[in-house]
Amino acid sequence: MPSIGDTKARLLRGIVEDNINVVQGVRIRRVVRRATRVKVWLWIAISGLAVGYLSVATQGVSRGGAPTSAVAKAPAPAINPIASEPVPEIEAPLAHPRPIDRNAIPLTLKTVVIDPGHGGDPGAIAESGLEEKDITLDIGLRLRRLLQEAPFEVLLTRDTDRRLSLDQRVQFANENKADLFLSIHVNSMEPRTIRALETYYVGPTNDPHALNLASRENKESGYSLSDYKQILEKIYVDARRDESRAAARTLHSELFHTLKVDNPELENRGVRTAPFVVLIGTQMPAVLIEIACLSNPEEVELLTNQQYRENIALALAQGIRRYASSLTVAARKGS
Amino acid sequence: MEESNDSLCVGIDLGTSRSSISASSGERHVIDSYVGWPMDMVARKLVKKSVLVGRDALDNRPMLDLRRPLERGIMKEGSEKDQEAVQEILRHLIGLAGIKPKSKNKVKVRAVVGVPAEAFRVNRQNLRSTMEGIADSVMLVSEPFAVAYGLEALLHALVIDIGAGTADFCVMQGRYPTEEDQKTLPNAGDAIDEQLMKLIRERHPDAQFSIHMLRDWKEKWSFVGEPKQRVIVSAPIKGKATEIDITQEMRTACESILPPICETMTTLLAKVEPEFQAKVRNNVILAGGTSLIAGLADAVTHALSELGGGRATVVKDPVFAGSDGSLAIAQDASSSDWEKLSL
Repeated sequence: MPSIGDTKARLLRGIVEDNINVVQGVRIRRVVRRATRVKVWLWIAISGLAVGYLSVATQGVSRGGAPTSAVAKAPAPAINPIASEPVPEIEAPLAHPRPIDRNAIPLTLKTVVIDPGHGGDPGAIAESGLEEKDITLDIGLRLRRLLQEAPFEVLLTRDTDRRLSLDQRVQFANENKADLFLSIHVNSMEPRTIRALETYYVGPTNDPHALNLASRENKESGYSLSDYKQILEKIYVDARRDESRAAARTLHSELFHTLKVDNPELENRGVRTAPFVVLIGTQMPAVLIEIACLSNPEEVELLTNQQYRENIALALAQGIRRYASSLTVAARKGS
Repeated sequence: MEESNDSLCVGIDLGTSRSSISASSGERHVIDSYVGWPMDMVARKLVKKSVLVGRDALDNRPMLDLRRPLERGIMKEGSEKDQEAVQEILRHLIGLAGIKPKSKNKVKVRAVVGVPAEAFRVNRQNLRSTMEGIADSVMLVSEPFAVAYGLEALLHALVIDIGAGTADFCVMQGRYPTEEDQKTLPNAGDAIDEQLMKLIRERHPDAQFSIHMLRDWKEKWSFVGEPKQRVIVSAPIKGKATEIDITQEMRTACESILPPICETMTTLLAKVEPEFQAKVRNNVILAGGTSLIAGLADAVTHALSELGGGRATVVKDPVFAGSDGSLAIAQDASSSDWEKLSL
């Protein structure tokens, strides 16, 4: 083992070299671990297979094979529940290139589009009669209020109980050049004892639960089969996937830690990928959160509590701010 | 390594809230990172100075154009006044270390300045420019790295330097840390202030208090975990001094930084070679003013227990750990190194 003196000498050489690079405007070198390198041919082969897989899965979705009742009878998820830090991530085994370094493209958050799920159609319905559309709208409105003083514009896809197709939601976000799209939903699943928090960003999945959920939420998407090629290509070529993942992780972590206080049995299902239409069609980082389960009576009771809904909105607002801050830091880095 | 009578080595921790200097002359000082200029002739007559720095500026703030020129550990961009304020802070610190403007030409000042772990090339270049006329040679190092160097925690250690503007992470693996070994989070002291302000205003909407009062409360009473005592502070309500209990608000606000810090710690630990992860987990070092929050090390240790066990400790002197480490670097660097980095 080298002596402290030798190590210090090596470190000093690093400091001087680093500072000379700063003076000369040379980028600090990055250690690339061999294990993380993905050969191009391997990436192309794997992503090709994954696109094929997703294509099949999503066509199934489009044919509406999913349960159509408002309180869907989704099969129990075939994944292991994870309830502790770090935020678990469930993603189809897809190798992908190194994430794009944020520093290469300084980004800021100027416009956030909040999408309260459903409207007109009730979405999931609890036994007590509580409807998903009302919860998502309530939280969306709270979130807009909480973010009023934020240094970015906040827009809602709907601020009343009105029907919007998924395509219209996507168009709204794209036309307003949103920098972040957040779709709020409330889950419903069997068995009714489950109370889970799940956050999604766009990507393939082989998790039957996620596919089932996506198929329910994608119902009446407004997209035709001719759009599929473009839609599917987007998933893989869009750099925004990494940003969506970063936003999803931040929002999920904030929400889970906040809700866990009043809802100690809340299960952390983590950040996942799934082919939701609103996540595929939007051109900005996009996240879909299933904030609770209307199938669980205890969560329904919590959702009827105004303070609990306010806490959800507070956590989401804080998550958005945190994500915006992380962009600011990255933007400085790259500027 | 090499130091002559005509040179002075200094280590500076330029912080968003406080800045400290440790000098080879033995001087050590910490100041509030505030600068103020008298707003008018009357103010100038009263304060009897053209510019005030540190506590002096804070105490006289009603009469001053007061600046806190650092944001998230770096200079605010696009404001000449803030850049000037940073220069005043640096000049003041160097002065405290014993270098008076008139002796500047006789003594060479070699300064190592700590910056956030993920500080950016442009920010570093700006800071170097700002140091012109204040120091003769400058090296910029990441704050947690400076802490590690000062403590000689060079191998199998994770330093988390939690200041006001940023929490900076650096894994030490016996080599000069790369970008992948380091991380900067905005979740630090200022984020706690913001949260605390919001929570107190929600619960006591009529209470009147300033951010400066709130920061004083936090410095005295901050904690995570179970409260050992109630936090009762005095704030005017409709002009009448009133005692309010902010125990829960203090706890919630302080604990708000734990999830992102623990999450980032986990991410960095996972990047360490598997056979060394346990060693690093057992050598997590907390530094910076915000590490003084009571119970923080225990909370981080608890988080480590979920990763297989580990230990977090707070450095002996969190406020000076960064500047002391920077001074150690300054003293160890050779004259030829310093010449390469002269301004």
